[in-house]
This record gives sequence, structure tokens and C-alpha cells, in this order.
Amino acid sequence: MATSVYWLFDFVFTFKKLLFLTSSYYPFTIYSNRYIMDLKSIKIDIIKGIHKCSQRGLFHSVKWLSELNYSLSHVQLSPEELPKFEESEVELEAYLLAKSYFDLKEYDRCTHFTKDCTSAKTKFLFYYSQYLSIEKKKLDNMTDSNCPPDPTKNDKLKNLCAQMQNDFYQNKLDGFMIYLYGIILKRLDLIALAIDVFTKAVALEPMLWCCWFELGKLVSDKNTLSLPDHWMKQFYSSHACLEQLRNDEALQICQSLCTQGFENSTYLMSQFALGHHNNRDLDKAINMFKKILEIDPYRLDNLDTYSNLLYVQEMKTQLADLAHKVVSIDKYRVETCCVIGNYYSLRSDHAKAVLYFRRALKLNPQFLSGWTLMGHEFMEMKNTNAAIQSYRHAIEINHRDYRAWYGLGQTYEIMKMYFYSLYYYKQAQQLKPNDSRMIIALGETYEKLDKIENALKCYYKACSIGDVEGLALIRLAKLYDKLNETENAAAAFTEYCLREDDSKEKVYDDQTEFYNALQYLANYHLNKGQIDDAYTYAYKCLECDETKEQGKALLRVIATKRMEQGNEMKMEEPIENTSPPGEANSSDMNFSLMIMENQ
Amino acid sequence: MKTTNISSVDIEKYRKLVQHYIDMHMHETALYWADKVVSITENPRDIYWLAQCMYHLKQFHRAVHLLRTKNLEKTFILCNYLTVRCLLAANELNEALNVVNILDVEIFPQQNLPISNNTLSNFDTIIFDDRPKNQVYASIMFLKGRVLEAMDNRILATECYKQALHCDVYCFEAFDALTRNQMLSASEEEELLKSLPVNEHCSTEEADVIKLLYESKLKKYHAPTSISKFTTKTLHADPILLQDGLLLNITPNHISNLTSTPNFISSPSISTPNIPKTIDDNKRKEKNLKTMETDSLDDRNLCLEKLKGNNDILVSQAEAFYYNCDFQKCSNLTDSILKQDPWHTACLPIHISSQVELKETTKLFLLAHNLVDLYPNLAISWYAVGCYYYIIGKSDLARRYLAKATCLDRLFGPAWLAYGHSFAVENEHDQAMAAYFKASQLMKGCHLPLLYIGLECGLTNNIRLADRFFQQAQSIAPDDPFILHEKGVINFQNLEYNTAEKNFKDALEKIRRIHSIPIPQRWVSLLNNLGHTCRKLKKYEEALEYHHQALLLSPQNASIYSAIGFVHSLVGNAEEAVDWFHKALGLERDDTFSSTMLNYVIEQLAEEKPPFPGAPEGIPKYNPKESSKLTLTYSEMNETSVDKGESEMSTSIRDSIKIDASQSNEGMQVNGKTDSSCMSIEVDMIDASKSIQDENSTT
Repeated sequence: MATSVYWLFDFVFTFKKLLFLTSSYYPFTIYSNRYIMDLKSIKIDIIKGIHKCSQRGLFHSVKWLSELNYSLSHVQLSPEELPKFEESEVELEAYLLAKSYFDLKEYDRCTHFTKDCTSAKTKFLFYYSQYLSIEKKKLDNMTDSNCPPDPTKNDKLKNLCAQMQNDFYQNKLDGFMIYLYGIILKRLDLIALAIDVFTKAVALEPMLWCCWFELGKLVSDKNTLSLPDHWMKQFYSSHACLEQLRNDEALQICQSLCTQGFENSTYLMSQFALGHHNNRDLDKAINMFKKILEIDPYRLDNLDTYSNLLYVQEMKTQLADLAHKVVSIDKYRVETCCVIGNYYSLRSDHAKAVLYFRRALKLNPQFLSGWTLMGHEFMEMKNTNAAIQSYRHAIEINHRDYRAWYGLGQTYEIMKMYFYSLYYYKQAQQLKPNDSRMIIALGETYEKLDKIENALKCYYKACSIGDVEGLALIRLAKLYDKLNETENAAAAFTEYCLREDDSKEKVYDDQTEFYNALQYLANYHLNKGQIDDAYTYAYKCLECDETKEQGKALLRVIATKRMEQGNEMKMEEPIENTSPPGEANSSDMNFSLMIMENQ
Repeated sequence: MKTTNISSVDIEKYRKLVQHYIDMHMHETALYWADKVVSITENPRDIYWLAQCMYHLKQFHRAVHLLRTKNLEKTFILCNYLTVRCLLAANELNEALNVVNILDVEIFPQQNLPISNNTLSNFDTIIFDDRPKNQVYASIMFLKGRVLEAMDNRILATECYKQALHCDVYCFEAFDALTRNQMLSASEEEELLKSLPVNEHCSTEEADVIKLLYESKLKKYHAPTSISKFTTKTLHADPILLQDGLLLNITPNHISNLTSTPNFISSPSISTPNIPKTIDDNKRKEKNLKTMETDSLDDRNLCLEKLKGNNDILVSQAEAFYYNCDFQKCSNLTDSILKQDPWHTACLPIHISSQVELKETTKLFLLAHNLVDLYPNLAISWYAVGCYYYIIGKSDLARRYLAKATCLDRLFGPAWLAYGHSFAVENEHDQAMAAYFKASQLMKGCHLPLLYIGLECGLTNNIRLADRFFQQAQSIAPDDPFILHEKGVINFQNLEYNTAEKNFKDALEKIRRIHSIPIPQRWVSLLNNLGHTCRKLKKYEEALEYHHQALLLSPQNASIYSAIGFVHSLVGNAEEAVDWFHKALGLERDDTFSSTMLNYVIEQLAEEKPPFPGAPEGIPKYNPKESSKLTLTYSEMNETSVDKGESEMSTSIRDSIKIDASQSNEGMQVNGKTDSSCMSIEVDMIDASKSIQDENSTT
């Protein structure tokens, strides 16, 4: 049975591979080609990994591996294939004692009783309990002082780091301890070294998911780390791609993993959801989350993203429902607090929203979206200083959080520190090169700094990548005008007018922009002697009160010109092409029809 | 007892009684019976014992009076010795010196001769019993030294101690007096140890033991250079084995074929270049150098090994750790020593210092309280209290208690240095210097006071004077990396960057020789200063390298962050620079340097960098890409204007497109180029432009 399933999947896999080979759209088929996954050995790997991690109290890795293992329940292992575990005899007493203290979160006691131990397992507990004790104390102190821990008072962690550093350079650490060392380095902001260390740890202990996870968070671009060729690497790759906002690639890898037998994994589903979310495929993402919640209704992981989605779609009732559900599951989880915060924010109760985000951050000061969202709330409440603080925390935790960079840009713009806001917008723009909002913000700032050319380039780029909010074009046109690039300006204005005309049915507030554009075009065409065009635009100007007078004046000028031209035309009739009137007529028709409708 | 003139048996019995009660520390009783014996016999020997009893009862003047009325101090060596002791204890220093000089004039006329049996044979009569003459002589010389030292005549005192040691190598007190109070410099100490007639006084086995013990007490500022001098003695002086060697030393199981013993090279500890934080209490810098020969007997080795577990030796090791800036290890070791012997006096200073370094306030608080409760008369107790207040930042109180410590023991150097530090942290340079000067007078053989004085001079911008003090300090301890470092700082201030770099690098090399890869955190400032110097010398790559090394030792350090940012901004790496300055400001919000630099760099970035990667060079021509859209509007119009004929309409669309295309024709050519540079070519955009081109070609 088991083998047949295996073969079946293998078949699916090769089939899929063919598909990939034929579709040249994705350039990274290597991921799917390199491994032919042997699910059985994977399962054995996982079970061994679970054992090792649980012995060391690495609960999150255990959880992740177990979930993965569960999604492989269709793969059966025969009794002799099941890995056997024996308790090692060295320092068993000390280990059992220490582990029990560790599980009860009595970290200092655990440290004390593992002080003189030498075996790798107990030594890991020795270091790990020290680290957790330091972190726990920091958190505990935070509840008193109500502010995040002061990074300058980190001496204990530094000492621990120095201690591990010595052992590290003497090669006394095993894979797990190296991972722990990496964590401490990361906490101390020694990112480059931390990446090195994590890479080493991963090579030694490929089943250590949390290590892959950290690595994915730290690696900044698609650089070539020498990572071991292990099936876990694919999970890592999808995670890393998501972190680096290379969403299509991530989705692609997830897809390939799905077809290789992990299709039941809720983790992969959540990866899909995140990928869709980043891609602004909101509906797909929401559906994916719904699916996950059906399978695993009490899963809280990533639900903060789900609440963001509901928030953006303004699905109030769903969000309320979600908030109630998560509260009933676990009130004191960061995700729960985040969902509730979003809920209050959608109800414009910003103070309460801040309260909940703050609670989330109290539970875990490293919770990224908490900081960003809290920054947004502070922005709503016009508390720029607090907003800046929040955004900065978010960036400290993750350098690639473009929302936080964007938020920082906004706050500094409010504070009229345009150079700063320019820099922050730039960061955001580099992270999301194809998002017009960032580049428009960039353009606005350049405008404020009186760097018209740069601003123009930004708007130009915004237009070229698809202007979501429809702001770029008119601005671009105005800047062309400002730089006396009349031809370009006219072209841009024309397009703007046409587009606005299209969406005329929609109610838009800023009519003056539109009519000013019309007026400009009327003048432009008049100057060029294209009287019919000028007439059309000038006529349109009459619709609005502000431009009415100018419109009338223009029409008068046009009328006189026409008279003159009419005389000339008569003389030169055989030479002149007849097409312009036709065009003018048609557009004229168009506009007049519109006017009729509007009235 | 050589009493022949008294035949009475009773007297003998009473004398024994006196001896017995003295042994039992029942001095009153002993005194009573001794007095009676003296009344009966009037024998000088008995008077001596009576005086002894008085001495034990702290009745010093009475004893002196007794001895002097009988004129015994002029005739009997031991009586003279006791008189001097009493006078010293009664703090009558001039009298004491006079009495001790009687001995020189009347008993040892040729005082400078080496003590041999020949010279002493003349005085057989004046020594009561068969005590070894050299020991008696050594004690006298030592006592004379003490008197001289108490009279602040340290140079003569040193000579006396040396003589005492030469007479009797076992006279530890003399040795300790020489080493503990820093009377000799490193080379002098070495010389002294070499000149000691160890082999004449004891067997070779014992000689080894003595050398081992004394050498552990010796040595200051041992720089790597001096190891090589000793490698001839050690069969194996491998610094890499340092850590392992330590383990072996403590565990007594490893014995015989242990050929390699560690060399502990100590360097005095001081502070970051600007604020002296260290308290160096015990000025002894020692090097733990043990020689063991493979061919030596097993039991001898066993004996040596066991001695290595001795607390005194362990204290020396702890000191070595301390001066190597391994404060945690030092503290662990002293903790274990104090567990065995809670009031080990030699261990306490180093223990307190390590607690100060590790900022273990609670531990120090408890220790200080216990010490003051038990030993209120010891300087060390009040020193501990002072140190406690020093690390919790209450300099006023710290000074009060440190002053008390110096009152109790004027020679207690550590207290003087800490006293100076307590001023230095409050930027009271003059008073700090005064305290350091006092310390430098007390500790002739120690370079630290000089170093600190130099530091204070540097802080008060008296660079030339500072340099002179550093030179002096260097003449005492030529290989101390701390001095090199401070000299480098002075050079840096003098804008002599090349010499500064050389000094820093020398210091770094010396440290690297002692330590394996991660050097102690204490040296962060050295690495950082090297970075600054390299930056001044325009070696930016190197500067970055050093700053990053420093960061490794001291993560999350705002000043290092901003230094790195500065180098980046000088290189023109503005974006990196902004990043680092942000980090620095994140840790220290009101760092004016970082914030002004950040302002500057961010503005520069805005001026110089393109608005986004791949931005076009010139102003892009507008290209109405949405011809498709145009058609759309017209087709819409087509629908709305139903009354128009279908065929007619289609031509009009055509025309309109044609016009549109011709309008943007020249724009298209240009845009073909800009588009490719624009990196992100949207698919629909290509399609749009293609459609236009198609239209073009058809028309």
C-alpha cells in the first residue's frame, strides 16, 4: 500500500515536472528537479528530528515537524522502519532533572544543575535555559515598565554570547548549540555572523526547522549560501522567497512541494495564503485562509495576516466573527491581540486598537506586524512620535518591512523633514519596486524638495507600472507643464482627460483637476492652431463654475480664429486634409453626449 | 634549658609551667609564674620569658621597661629583638630604630658580611638556645625592615628585607613585604629570586618547591617576550594549552607525565581610554611559571601537584586571569577558594576586584558587610565597602570608606587607586591625580599609578606631561599593552596617526599572543581606536575591519555603529552609512554626531542618487501607451452613438489612431531606449506599443 502511494506520487511528480519544463515562465525549475522525494525516508527523518528537538525543548520545531509528519499520515512505516531511540546513559540523571525544570520554566534551576555537564544534550539545556531565563526576565521587567527592553542593558546576554563564542571557536558546540549561538548573535544585531553560524548549524542538523526559519528571515537577497542539499531546503526556499517578497517564486516552490506529497500540510497552505496576500491576490488569500480554518479551526498562526486581509477588504462582519473566535481560543496570543486590534481599527476606535497591539507586543516584543500596525494606529491618532518609534521597532526586527518604511516616510513628511521621508520612501520603493503607491510618494517628496525632474521620473515610472490610485498621470502632466515640455504635457493631459472621461460615471471629488486639464489642453491646441480640438476642450470647460469664465473667453477667441481660418480654409480647401474635422466631430459628439448625460 | 646555676627542682617546674601556660595562651597565668621565677633567679632567660608574656598581653611598654632596666637589649640578641618588636607594636619608631642599631654597633660590628657559622660563633653565648643562627638574623633584619618601612624609609627597608631573605630563604614575610607592596620592579624581583641562595639552604627537592611557590608570587606585567626567556626552564611552554593546563592544575589526578604547564602572562588591567574604571587592587602581577622536569621523581611531582591545589597558588592563578581580563574565570576561581577558606586574606583583594569588574553588586554588598562585621580593623574590609559604593555610583560614600581603608593601612595601594578612580569618574582630575601620586609613592615597582596619572594628564589636555608619565610607566613595565594603547591615544590626539597606529598594533599583537581568537571584551576600545586611526590614515577598508572586530566583542554599541557609519560615509557609501547611523541613533537617541551626520548623508543621498534604481537619465518623453484605451473610448462612443453608421465609424477610428500614432511617433523612438533601461517592462505596455507599431506599419 505504502509503496503504491509512493509510486503514485512519484508519477504525479514527474508529470508535473514535465509541465514545468514546458512552461518557461518560471525560470527556477531547479527546485523541483533536483530532488526526487522519498517520502518514507523523509518521514523517518522527521520522526528522528522530532525526537531530537523535543529532547532539547525546542518546542516550535517539534510542532512544525509534527504538523508536517501529520500531513504525511498517508505514508506508512513498517515497525522495523520506525526509528528506535535509546536514552543515552551519560548524565541521564542530570539531564532528566534539568529537563523537568526546563519544562516547568524554572530556567535558573535548570542552569544550575547542568553547570558541570559535558554531554551535548545537557550542555544545550545549560545554554538554552540561560538564554531563556535572560529573555524571560526581560519580558517580566517589561510588564512593570511598560516599554520595550532597553537594548543598551543587555550585558547578561553579551556575557552569554562571549561564553558561547569561546566554545564556538574551540569547536565544542554541536549543531543545536550553534543554532542557539546564532540566535544570540541575532539578538545582539551581529547579523552577518549570525547567518554564517546558522548556515553551519543547518549543515549539522538539517532537521532543525527553527534554524532554517531564522536563516530565511535574515538572508537578504538571493545570494548563494552553501546550504546542504536536503529536502528541508525546499521549505526553506519557499519561506525565504516569501520573506524577500519574491512571491511568485515562493508560490511556485510551494506548489511543487504540494505535488510531492505535502498537499495536506497546513503550513504550506498558510505559505500559499501569505504569498497571495503579498501578491495582492486578496480573494485567493482569503479563500486559502478559510480553507485552513476549516481543516484546523483552532490554529492561530498567521491569522494576523488573515485579519489584515479582511481589514483591507473591509469585511467587517467576517473580521468581527474572526475576532470572537480567536478570543475564545486563546486570549493571550499575539495573533489574537492583533486580530482584535485590527477589528477595533476598522471600527475607527484607534485608542483601543493601540491597546491591543500593545498587548501583543507585551507578549512578544519581536512581533513584527504588531509594531507596524501600531504605527499605523498612531498615525491615525496623529501621534507622530509614537508612530516613528513603532515603525522603527518594526524595521529593527525586519529590515524588509516596506509598510514600516512607508509609514516612516509618511510621518517624516508630516513633520516636514523631507530628506528623511525621501530616504524612507526610497527604501520602501526598493522593496516593492512595482508598487505605484511607493513611487508616487517618492515623487511627491521630490516635488516638495523642488526636484522636479526626479519627481517627474517617479511619476513616469508610476504610470508605466500601472497606476493603482490614478494620481500619477495628472501630476506627471503638470510637471511636464512646469518644465515647459508642452508636447509631453499635452499628451499626458489628453490621456488623463480621456481616462477621467471613461470613469466619469464614478463620483470623484476633485473636479477642478480635470477641468484645469481641459483648460490647459484648450489653450495648447489653440496655440498650435488646432482650433477644433481647442473648441472641444474649451466647450467642456463650461461645465464647471471655476473654469466657466475662462472657457467662455477661450470660446470667444476660438470663434474669432475660426472666422479667420474659415476664410483661409475656403481658399485652400483642395489641399487640406479633411480628416481633422471628422475627428473633431466625433470627439465633439462624444463630449456633448456626455454633457447631456450629466445634465 | 641551659640553666645551671639554679639547682632547685622547683624552679625548673615553674619554668615548665610558664612554658605550658604560654602554649595554652593563658598569658596572665604565665605572667604571674614567670614573674615569680624572675624574682627567684634574676636569670636573663627568665626575664626574657617574662617579657614575652607581657608582649602577648600587649603590655609593650612594660616589657620594654623590664628589658631595658636590665640592659638586656644590649647583650642578648633575642632580648634586643623582643624590645624592638614591642617598641614597633607600641609605635615608638625612633626608639625602635635606636635599639635595633645597638645590635649593629655592639653585636654585629661587621654587619655587611654574609652570615656564616664563623661570624656567628662569637655570639653563641648571646643566643639562648640552639636556634638556627641564620633564621634569627633574618628575623632581625626583617624587623629592622619593618621599622624602617613604618618610618617611610622604604629604600633602606627594601635592603633589609633582601638581606633577611638572603639569610633565610624561608623567611616568607620578607619576601611578601617586598612583593606585596610593590617595592621592586619586575626585573629587580627576578634578580632577587635568582640571587637567593636557595640551593645552599635546602635540598634540591625543597628548592624546587620554594622556587615554585615564590615564583607564583612574583612577576608583573609579563609580556610575551619574557616567556621565551623562561622557555629554557619549562620544557613546554605552549600558550595554546593554557586552558587545558588550568584544568590539569586544579585536578590532582593528573600527575607525573604532565610536562607542559601553562604560562600565565599577566597584563595589568585598566580602562577604556577615557574613563578609568578598573580597580587594580593587588598590584602584584605574577606569572605562574612552573618548572617540572620529566625525570623528576614521581613523589616529588606528586608533592608539587598537590601544592598546585594550594590556595595561595590558586590565588596567583586567579590574578593571572584577572590581569588577562578573564574576569569571569577569575571570579569562578576566587569563589571556589573562598568556599574553602572564606577569609583568605590574599584572595580577598583579587576577589573584590573581579566582583567590581563583573558589577556583582549584591555579592559585594554581602561580602563587605560580613568583612566589616568580622574584621573592622582590616583595611580590606573598608576597601570592600568603598568598592561597593564605587560600582553603585556613589562616589562620595566610596571615597569616605576608601579613605578609612587607607587610614587603617597606609600601604594599601589598591585603596589609593580606587580612591583616585572615584575622583576620576566624576572628572575631578586634580584630586584623582593627587591620589594616584600617593599610590605611586607607595608602589615604587608598579606602573599603574603612573599610567593613571598620565591618563588624567591626557584628559586635562596636558599631552606632553601625559607622554612623560607613560614613558616612566613603560620603563617599569615595557611590555604592557595598556601603556601602548594609552600612548597611541596620546599620539592620536597629537595628530601623529602613524605612530598611533604603530602603538595600537603593537598592543594588539601583544594581546593576540596571549589570547586565542576571541580577545577579551576589555580591548574593544583598542580595536575601535585602531579603526579611528586607520580612518584618519585613509585606510578605510582596514578601519572597517577593525570596527567590525570591535563590534564582535561588544555588540550593540552605539559609538561603534556611528564610527562604521562615518567610514562608510567617507567612502561614499551613503546608503550603508545611513543604515549604520540609524542603528547608532536607535541605541543612543541624542548622539549629536550621529544625528548631524545622518542629516548630512541623507541630504547628500537625496541630491546625488537617482530617485529609484534604473531611473532614466534625462526627462522621459511621455508616451501615451494607451492607444488600446483610446480605441476603447472610441468603441464605447461607437456604442453610445448608435445613430452613426458602423462602417463610417471604423474608418474614423482608424484615422484617429493614425493621428495619434503620428503624434507620438518621435516620442516612440526615444522611448524604445528608455524602456529597456527602465528594467521593469510591463507586459501590457509592450503589447500596447507593439500594437501601435503594427498600426504604423499597416498605414
